[in-house]
Amino acid sequence: MREIEAIISSYDEARNEGHKCVLATVVHVEGSSYRAAGARMLVDEYGFMTGAISGGCLEGDALRKALLALDQNRSKLITYDTSDEDDAVIGVQLGCNGIIQVLFEPIDPEKQNNPIELLRKAEHADQPVALVSLFNLDKTKHQAGIVLLVDEQSNITGQIDDQALCEKITSVARNSLKKRINHFGEYRSTKDTQHAFVEVISPPPRLVLVGAGNDAQVLSRMAEPLGWDIIVADGRPTHANKKRFNSCQVIVTNPGELLDNIEIHEQTAFVLMTHNYNYDLDVLKLLLNEEQVPYIGILGPNKKYQRMLDDLEEDGITLSEEQYSKIYAPVGLQLGAENPAEIGLSILSEIQGVLTDSDIRSLRELEGSIHNKENRKFREISL
Amino acid sequence: MSNDTKIYLDYNATTPVDPKVVDAMLPYFTDKFGNASSHNHTFGWEAEEAVELAREQVADLIGATANEIYFTSGATEAVNLAIRGLCEANRDKGNHIITCVSEHKAVLDTCESLEQDGYRVTYLQVDASGSINLRELEEAITDKTILVSLMHANNEIGTIHPLKEISQITKSKNIPFLSDATQSVGKIPVDVQELDVDMIAFSSHKLYGPKGVGALYISKDDKPEISPILTGGGQEKGLRPGTLNVPAIVGFGKACEICADQMESDSKRLRLLRDKLESELAEIDGVLFNGASENRLPYMTSISFENIDGSNLLRRLKNLAVSQGSACTSATQKPSHVLKAIGHSDELAFSTIRVGLGRFTTEDEIEHAICDIKEIIPQLRLLTQ
Repeated sequence: MREIEAIISSYDEARNEGHKCVLATVVHVEGSSYRAAGARMLVDEYGFMTGAISGGCLEGDALRKALLALDQNRSKLITYDTSDEDDAVIGVQLGCNGIIQVLFEPIDPEKQNNPIELLRKAEHADQPVALVSLFNLDKTKHQAGIVLLVDEQSNITGQIDDQALCEKITSVARNSLKKRINHFGEYRSTKDTQHAFVEVISPPPRLVLVGAGNDAQVLSRMAEPLGWDIIVADGRPTHANKKRFNSCQVIVTNPGELLDNIEIHEQTAFVLMTHNYNYDLDVLKLLLNEEQVPYIGILGPNKKYQRMLDDLEEDGITLSEEQYSKIYAPVGLQLGAENPAEIGLSILSEIQGVLTDSDIRSLRELEGSIHNKENRKFREISL
Repeated sequence: MSNDTKIYLDYNATTPVDPKVVDAMLPYFTDKFGNASSHNHTFGWEAEEAVELAREQVADLIGATANEIYFTSGATEAVNLAIRGLCEANRDKGNHIITCVSEHKAVLDTCESLEQDGYRVTYLQVDASGSINLRELEEAITDKTILVSLMHANNEIGTIHPLKEISQITKSKNIPFLSDATQSVGKIPVDVQELDVDMIAFSSHKLYGPKGVGALYISKDDKPEISPILTGGGQEKGLRPGTLNVPAIVGFGKACEICADQMESDSKRLRLLRDKLESELAEIDGVLFNGASENRLPYMTSISFENIDGSNLLRRLKNLAVSQGSACTSATQKPSHVLKAIGHSDELAFSTIRVGLGRFTTEDEIEHAICDIKEIIPQLRLLTQ
């Protein structure tokens, strides 16, 4: 389950019980931190927390700030400076060296587009959307919070009262969506200055397991905590069923119709693992035409893959560079994997690397910081 | 203005609390009375939140970050904490302190007390303008030097020490540099990044905040080692334990915020009034304006009158609240150590007044002060002859 999904579900539960909640969102990070902007945590009035804004060092204090925000019924921005090793509030010396801005928003369930409802809409969207959090580094000023959601068709949910600001931020959000990059802006007018974090929220990666064998069962279970959508497709109802794959969408189909019920987006990865050569080959043929698919993994030795290429050639299909580049056969990273769980780990690691466009190697070989720190500076924007 | 109205011109001694500051403080005496260290309920959280906001406001005024600010009971305590705490923590590194003869008593008396404990102190001399010689500072540094403590603006004559040049010297020798900036913060721009000082002590009541609260700024870059001089509940990261004076801290923060906003315009207006006062009084025979002509606080003046009876000076200027010598030593009838340091005789030192203007000083008041002084001084001179 993704963090956002878990937060929404906890919120719904709390609301049913009549408990009030505060949403905490990391809206900016300068320097290094464990969690980046966009990390969230929900705190209910009894102090139960869902999600996380740090590796654990800030949650204790954040809990108190959340409850204070709830008590005052007022959104607030809190700065955590983890560069201060003597700070008793944060306490542990993690070697982090970052200044983290966290926005705390009491949620009004009666308000139509409250932050949770905007998050819900973002979570349910089948396309990337941009979520706008409006705040002010001057803590004495009003903190507007999560106010706006913009989709790729420029549909807007929520509102910003200041017309000029609204227009500017909407246009920044559209641009962010196009580039799939978060944006931090400092919007200056003659009257005041506001800050906004535009976060691109994409639908979770979708993993389509073609094949419902025991190895696929292990793989699906391992993928579950990642919060990805998992679909299992196979021709055998004895294998592809809800009993064996209870957290997945299960499709029993012949290979030719496999894609009929699957919505493909830019983060949809396929793993061909039916152990049935012809089934895998038929699906591969279909996938070659799906431009959006970034990853096609094929289980089995290189020999099998070469045979598939030969058979495709015989059918008059020659692969383009681009098609070659997204086929990962044999599937997985070189991790010395032997049993199904180890193989699952190697496959999931490879998919994670490909979907995030990462250079797959040990972090110790990396020079510089682990997280990408580009585009973290506030861009000054005049209104 | 009636003839008996008292005119307050001693803003370097203390300032009235700005009414906006009082408004900000009031809820923290009654409704929001929590202990900022109470972590278990909203009363405590609310107080803590107010303290952290104030910390940011104070930090902003001097270009620091909030986690570099430690609240104390005032500048004197901040100075004591910095000097004694640093000496205690660096005992193994050396025992030599460099300061200056014209420092405030908070620094001088602390250094003297440390001399009793075996520390060696070099007191740099000042010239007639109250300025130190940077070469003498450099020459005074030894491999046993663990601290240089030089004030920013002098409280009696307003002379401003060149902190940036001083910090270049101390940085090159890797020696922590403390500056007592009580008279400058809130009156002139003080930017710790630009000045590159390691520690700054300052006080709330000199910048229209309440008495009983001050701060020590300690740079987080090359942070000097300082041991606490009090022990207790671990407040202020253990460096200054003791329940935080929340209403005063809130007021201090608000006062800093107002200064950041208003300092420039206050300074412009008051400098004009100060200059007017000086140019008018310059017409009196035998008048001297003390302090550096350029590097001087913009709205105070220290004026010496030659050949007058100093003992009667303040009594005769009865409607003017000005000080003779510095406020903190005026309880004792000794000539001011600062005026002596710049070469004044005892008589001339006693014949010196400090006029400090501030946010609530009006042009009318300055005109009255000019009239009074112009009228009284010749009379005093007659009496001595």
